[in-house]
Amino acid sequence: MRPHFSFGSLRSDHIAGATFVVFAVVVFALSGDLPFGTLSSPGAGMMPKLLLVLMIVFGVALVIGGAASQPFADIEWSDGAHALMVVAIAGIAITFYQTLGFILTMTLLVFTLLIVVERKPLLNAAAYSIGLTMLAWWLFGKALKSPLETGILGF
Amino acid sequence: MGVTLDSLWLGFSVALQPAVLWYAFLGCLVGTLVGVLPGIGPLAGISILLPITFGLNATNAIVMLAGIYYGSQYGGSTTSILLRIPGEASSVMTCIDGNAMARKGRAGAALCIAAVGSWIAGTFGVIVLTFIAPPLATIALKFGPPEYTALLVLGLVFLAYMSTTSLSRTLLMAAFGLMLGCIGIDPLSGHFRYSFDIAELGDGIGIVPVAVGLFGLGEILSTPSHQVTGEVIRPKLRELWPNAKEWRESGWPIARGTVMGFLIGIIPGSAHIISSFLSYAVEKKISKHPEEFGQGAVAGVAGPESANNAASTGAFVPMLALGIPTGPVTAVLMAALMIHGVPPGPSLVNDHPEVFWGFVASMYVGNVMLLALNLPLVGIFVHLLRIPYAYLYPLIIMFCVIGVYEVAHSIVDVWIMLIMGVVGYALKKFSFDPAPLVLGLVIAPIFEMSLRQSLIMSNGNWTIFMTRPIAGTLMAAAAVMLAMSAFSAFMARRDWRAQMAEEVKE
Repeated sequence: MRPHFSFGSLRSDHIAGATFVVFAVVVFALSGDLPFGTLSSPGAGMMPKLLLVLMIVFGVALVIGGAASQPFADIEWSDGAHALMVVAIAGIAITFYQTLGFILTMTLLVFTLLIVVERKPLLNAAAYSIGLTMLAWWLFGKALKSPLETGILGF
Repeated sequence: MGVTLDSLWLGFSVALQPAVLWYAFLGCLVGTLVGVLPGIGPLAGISILLPITFGLNATNAIVMLAGIYYGSQYGGSTTSILLRIPGEASSVMTCIDGNAMARKGRAGAALCIAAVGSWIAGTFGVIVLTFIAPPLATIALKFGPPEYTALLVLGLVFLAYMSTTSLSRTLLMAAFGLMLGCIGIDPLSGHFRYSFDIAELGDGIGIVPVAVGLFGLGEILSTPSHQVTGEVIRPKLRELWPNAKEWRESGWPIARGTVMGFLIGIIPGSAHIISSFLSYAVEKKISKHPEEFGQGAVAGVAGPESANNAASTGAFVPMLALGIPTGPVTAVLMAALMIHGVPPGPSLVNDHPEVFWGFVASMYVGNVMLLALNLPLVGIFVHLLRIPYAYLYPLIIMFCVIGVYEVAHSIVDVWIMLIMGVVGYALKKFSFDPAPLVLGLVIAPIFEMSLRQSLIMSNGNWTIFMTRPIAGTLMAAAAVMLAMSAFSAFMARRDWRAQMAEEVKE
């Protein structure tokens, strides 16, 4: 009788353990040129390679003992859309931070989060983002004298 | 004893200077605010203010930054009690019974017990720190690379033992964290490791972007605003004083939590989080009315709050006396000291007595300030908590970006923060505890250096860790703890740690 496998039988530890094993194997492959050295003269590669082996061992242990963990299908992903949007907006802001400068970038970051993710009214979002950024600019840039990034527009 | 008291007198002469008092107050205030606001922890608060301290002297800088750390332990209880959302990771246990007390109309009493317990624990911790740190620093002069290696191994194993998740999960996270700590230039041979030709990665991955990403951004990613619907309970000022029964019920839990928290705090690990969990478990176990836990038991607030404050003070002992960080916060504090040319470790007490004793004395003052701040200003904190979460988390994201970027003006750090935020989100989904990862990252440089130095000293002989008395003792303790952890896992018994994990999930 053939063993029955379905994605429904997958547990979270199976996925997590396998992910760490694959990650560790890939990084191990990238570590090829790091010298392992000897016990009396450990090289730059000794510690990372030992740790990667440990990660593989623990990852396999997770996979083997994975039946006790919760089913993968039971993991709640309803916050996934929120997370994706926040990451995308933050990523764009970080990309342009050094070009546009602190004031413009932070204002646009907060504004976009409030409009796109939170669906707040335009006026409220604009007032809050401008006010908050100016407060932060004054607090860090003027009161605490922490140098803030200036963009190509001069502010 | 006389020498210690004379030194403490010197410390107070430093700590009571107006400038030092001002920075202690600033640190305590920011720390309380950081503790009150969910999503932003002491690490983010310290990171944001770290660049500002570059223009200060070492004493003022460390006093302010440390004030943020132990101040956040006070502030975290406010949100836990009034909103049932932990303001800070170590305040998770206070949510359970603290909010239950609030719903019974005893919010003020809960806040007062938490504040007083925190003050007692913090003051006790500072007193013990005063008398333990100098002799420990003397003993630490006998520490060599094998002893440091053994101590760090003990810390990792202790964390694994105390963790509420499985042994393999905890050790996997610790190995991952140690692995992240290997990124950058190898200090012994000069090889570039996993830097992928990115110049900024040559210095390695910083603790600040990783911790802020994992704990700050990761939390925000997994919390859409529509899920945050807590009603803020507003206590009246006249209701702040507990009654006689509540004082009686809080006495012994405060005492036990204080001692337990301090002892846990001195061991490397996420001490302040573990200490509150452990205190709650102990109080519930020995209580004559365990059924009251979860329904507003005073001991369920008094014990954990005292424990986390004592642990945060205890964490300074290895940091100052041994130069070993016990977690990400103390690691950043150590970095702050080194930036100011004051290397923490066994020589700190003798070479920079005004910094050491000034810092210790400021903690006595800081604890009094926090007691005064937390109770009368609770009304202001309530208003702060009323800011809708939809407007609060963009503010937190902005502060996280500012804090991470300002440390080294590196955009790569901000990208690392974002990536670690995604990692933190994923880890939460798969029920991994990120604390061992951060601890691994924090201790990786010291651990690898001391391990390799030990092997060079012994010409490759691993028994050096067993033949030296101090190292051997520490390794034996680690082995016992590992065996106990493995035994529990093998027997698949629901021991007190697994029970705690289930209670927290509920």
